[in-house]
Amino acid sequence: MNPEPFLQLDRVIHEKGRLAIMSMLAAAPELSFTELRDALAMTDGNLTTHIRALQQEGYVAVAKSQNNRPLTTCSLTPAGRKAFADYINLLEQIVRQNKGK
Amino acid sequence: MQSSHMETNWAEENLQTIRTLMERSALYRRALAPIMIFAGGTDIVAAVAGCLLGFRSAPGFIGYWIGVACFGVAGAFLLVRRQAIKSAEPFWSPPARRVAQAVAPPLTIGFLVGLWVFIACLEPSDIDPPTGMSDDAGTLIWLPAVWALFYGCALHAAGFFTPRGLRLFGWIFITAGIIVFFWLLLTNRQDYPEVSWQASHWLMGVLFGLLQLTYGVYLFLTGEEPNET
Repeated sequence: MNPEPFLQLDRVIHEKGRLAIMSMLAAAPELSFTELRDALAMTDGNLTTHIRALQQEGYVAVAKSQNNRPLTTCSLTPAGRKAFADYINLLEQIVRQNKGK
Repeated sequence: MQSSHMETNWAEENLQTIRTLMERSALYRRALAPIMIFAGGTDIVAAVAGCLLGFRSAPGFIGYWIGVACFGVAGAFLLVRRQAIKSAEPFWSPPARRVAQAVAPPLTIGFLVGLWVFIACLEPSDIDPPTGMSDDAGTLIWLPAVWALFYGCALHAAGFFTPRGLRLFGWIFITAGIIVFFWLLLTNRQDYPEVSWQASHWLMGVLFGLLQLTYGVYLFLTGEEPNET
């Protein structure tokens, strides 16, 4: 087997929690912090840590607004969308490669 | 060989998880406030008009309110379509399809219950003294509560594919329907022929008009609106 695709997997996205966040954000233009937390059953601290890691990598943008009450929303940046698409392509490549054997 | 098999399984499982999460995340996000305000306003106006126009008979009451419901659904479709065009998105998106599939069974049953009572009321009565008198809409005082129950179920089902506030609103409808239903039952109001025919229209106005209008205004004022996408 060619180990290349597996080694190319983005380490930042590869972590289970961060991959879940990226997957949710990939299908929605933006999601609130609460929606992400509830959907993924994460604690506030855990979600904050993961989002910060993704933000530092430039994959996720965080916006804060005040409309009667504070609202934090997260969305994928263009770089995040590309990284996520590349990650999916690599996974599909792994599946194809091994099934073709 | 075994390791490559494990990697394939792992990659397939990951892809499946990603697919599931993406589907769950693709919520129906059309703004609900205008739809609720429109539906609530329509029902309040319809309740007043129903009394003024004098839809006293049971078939008249049912036919009138089924017509109002069709008008409300058509208006809601137009509002959603306008939002979709504004945001350059398809009207019949996968989340919209899921919402439509979720609300279809309870709304169909509610419609069929209305249709069944409508047909039953058209048949000549062999009861002495005969019912079917001109102001027998009062005998259908229980029907708005039954419709509220089915409508609540529809909203609750739709709430699994929309931001979760709609599920709670569905429960409010279900609770209101149950309260009205049991209140009528325990006070034997549905058995009193002297229940005024206007009461059924007012009950429709309160259950469907006031509740939806209040929810729409609440969404509008609190900004608890899904993003217009």
